[in-house]
Amino acid sequence: MEKSIENTWKEGFLKSDALVAPKINNLYNQKSIHITAKFERMAKINLVAIVVFAVIFLLITTYNGLLVLGISWFLILSGLVIVNYRSLKGLNKVNNHTNSYEYLVSFNDWLQNQLSMNRKMARLYYPLLFLTIIIGFWLFDAEGIPLGERLVGEVLYGFPDIYMVNGIPLLAIIFMAVIVGVLFLFGGKIYMLDVSIIYGRIFKKLDDLLADIEELKE
Amino acid sequence: MSILPFSGIIIKLCRAYTNSQEDFEDYFQEVCLQIWRSKENFREESAWSTWVYRISLNVCLTLLKKDKKSSGHFVSDALVAADTEDTFVFSDESLNHLYEAIRQLSEIDRAVITLYLEEKSYQEIGDIIGTNPNNIGVRIKRIKSRLKIILDGKIY
Repeated sequence: MEKSIENTWKEGFLKSDALVAPKINNLYNQKSIHITAKFERMAKINLVAIVVFAVIFLLITTYNGLLVLGISWFLILSGLVIVNYRSLKGLNKVNNHTNSYEYLVSFNDWLQNQLSMNRKMARLYYPLLFLTIIIGFWLFDAEGIPLGERLVGEVLYGFPDIYMVNGIPLLAIIFMAVIVGVLFLFGGKIYMLDVSIIYGRIFKKLDDLLADIEELKE
Repeated sequence: MSILPFSGIIIKLCRAYTNSQEDFEDYFQEVCLQIWRSKENFREESAWSTWVYRISLNVCLTLLKKDKKSSGHFVSDALVAADTEDTFVFSDESLNHLYEAIRQLSEIDRAVITLYLEEKSYQEIGDIIGTNPNNIGVRIKRIKSRLKIILDGKIY
């Protein structure tokens, strides 16, 4: 039979061991390192972005006479950053494992704890952020009178028989209470939505990789 | 989307760019890793296989450049292949000769001939290496002639 280039290629691979895939033991280690390093990097950038935002927001609100709003947001966001920064430091403890699978499982456990903690915190800080917006604008100085009192005055002028509680229309209190309640109930879900936008791809990679290694183990 | 159905051609491509089993394993591993890393960037503008081969080729070419740089001097592809001792030994002697010859081709020609021998269409070869598919046929003819000269009658 003619030894053409095409035949040599076809038959050569059929006859020889040239198609044996090499062992790629280290591949999963590299993938694991890539995922966790990427997550750590993104988380740090995220925390820095929150700090930068808090500072800029504080400056803008102070400049515009909304000092209470600026300080409140600054304190809430700073608390959030401190808690998460400390938690991120705990990631170093995850690093003591013999193989990439154990490492990834520990990392995933750490991540789930982190998410659960932040979900709980979100149920508090979303309503708090909302309330500080209301209080901040309520206390905003509108030509010598706090904006809230001025608005209540306007409302009373139009609806003199409106029901008031401690100088605030009851309807406004109910409206705020409903929003605070909704934010409390769905704070965790809103947080997860927020997280999935930023970290969704990396979480999917982590799940895929764990599933991959588990399948290999089986 | 798995690379498993294409692992054969990835192996063949990696072998075309490496001279030793050790290098081959490094290249293969890096290709797998890079495909996995950039999997989410796949936009279905091309076939999955085309995309996999394109990444494989890019990784091989990048690693080859790195290897050349680390060797500290510039030499032509043909000289690199000819001067470096080939430590691959397959059980099929003709395949050994063919691979030795392929490694003496230019970087892109190695990919073109490998893809051609894997029966990829001119269109797909063009898509993978990023050139006009109309020129692929002529290029393959030229590569085959060169291979025959290098093989010096061992393969026709």
